[in-house]
Amino acid sequence: MSEDVTISRKLKKAAQLLLFQHHRLPGAKGWELRKVLGKDYMKIIKLLERRLDELGLEIKIVYEDGIDHQTPTEEDLEQARFYVICRSPLQIGEVSLSGWRIDTLAVLAAALAYITSKQGRATRNEVEGLLREKFPDWKVDQDLNRFIRKGYLDEDEEGNLYIGWRTRAEIDLKTLVSIIAGSSQTQQL
Amino acid sequence: MCTEDRRWPKLPQRARKEEYYEELARIINLCQSIRAKGEDPFLVDVPQKLQVLKRLLPQWKLLDELLMDAEALKELSLMVKLQSDWVKRRASGLFIDPFLVEVKIKLLGKEELASALLAAWRPLIAAEQLTPKRLLEALDYWRVLLPLSQRMKEIEAAQFPEEKTLAVSELIRLKFLSERAFNEEVRRLQEELTKDYESKGGPIDYWKFVIRDTYEETLLRAYALSFIISNGYANLIINPVEESIMIETAGKQTQRKGGKSVPISITYEKWMTMKNSIKTEGIRNE
Repeated sequence: MSEDVTISRKLKKAAQLLLFQHHRLPGAKGWELRKVLGKDYMKIIKLLERRLDELGLEIKIVYEDGIDHQTPTEEDLEQARFYVICRSPLQIGEVSLSGWRIDTLAVLAAALAYITSKQGRATRNEVEGLLREKFPDWKVDQDLNRFIRKGYLDEDEEGNLYIGWRTRAEIDLKTLVSIIAGSSQTQQL
Repeated sequence: MCTEDRRWPKLPQRARKEEYYEELARIINLCQSIRAKGEDPFLVDVPQKLQVLKRLLPQWKLLDELLMDAEALKELSLMVKLQSDWVKRRASGLFIDPFLVEVKIKLLGKEELASALLAAWRPLIAAEQLTPKRLLEALDYWRVLLPLSQRMKEIEAAQFPEEKTLAVSELIRLKFLSERAFNEEVRRLQEELTKDYESKGGPIDYWKFVIRDTYEETLLRAYALSFIISNGYANLIINPVEESIMIETAGKQTQRKGGKSVPISITYEKWMTMKNSIKTEGIRNE
């Protein structure tokens, strides 16, 4: 089998691993990719990323500690989860397609920015208290539960809220927090 | 300090050692409190605390003392990890004053918050797939699946019967009660009530009149009596202080206008209790 054929086969396999959900969470762990694609799996991932780029997609690596690594070690990569995400943020017209109302997006933005500013952890009571100044009680409770179910937030048994796996994959928290913290009231949707 | 109040009651209570234990306890409590409250981990001076542990180490002889020392060391190592995470977070640019963020969130409108999220949101792409293995499992499931009509029967049979109130008309329709037999029972009970009332020369105790040897008979008498009262042939005299219920006959039928309903619950337990108390009272009177 020629090298081109091998690479082409591995590319297809890598796309399948990343795009089709195999477990409870989408994407694949680094060690899973290594097992299927071989020890040079990162080269295949880079090649796949080039192909995905043409479609407006990219591969996002979420490290286990939730922090970006400029020069990750092999172990960091093996424990990290690889996802395929959109290369550009959603356009305003596409918001309705996501099935989320503007106020639900606002609740999520406020909750995530607040938890991020509290070093990634805040009690549910604190978050609810802040949100209830702007949104009705029933909505705050309903939305927080929805975000936890979808993986945007995590909640422990002691009632602390954390940043969830989906937020790490989908949302650039640095951008979100800097927009909110540096925003003026003139910005409009 | 009394033994019960001490954090490590098993350890020997000697004045100097007590001070050492307290020193360790302070380190452990400080670290645990910072972790629990999410406060700044740099509040703990780790090198200084390690010096304390080093100084105290030669004092520890017992296993529990060494375990306590290990606990303090573990807490300090967790502080180092928290400090490392803290530095990484600050370096990553995610550090921002929580108060500023809180104020901004309060000031911003819903649209502005949503807009900020959209600018930072790049949705994940994933497809759920059906594998040949899952298809085979589905086929196996379909093969053993009973028809809906049969499953519904099983569900109905498994349902716990709910308590329900049935009207006399429903009982008659269900052939549980004959209309004629019920009217006959009401008439017979009314005669019995009049007779008892006249022989006693005054109101009769409700429970003595209603309670019989079987629960079913008691319920039927109570039910028939409620008809007699509703039709105006008898009245209930309720004394809430003495918790007594008496029945008096009306002599002739009286018209009830705006009368109130008095629910009297006769559970199986209530029937048993009343039956026994009436029996005991009867023996005592004899």
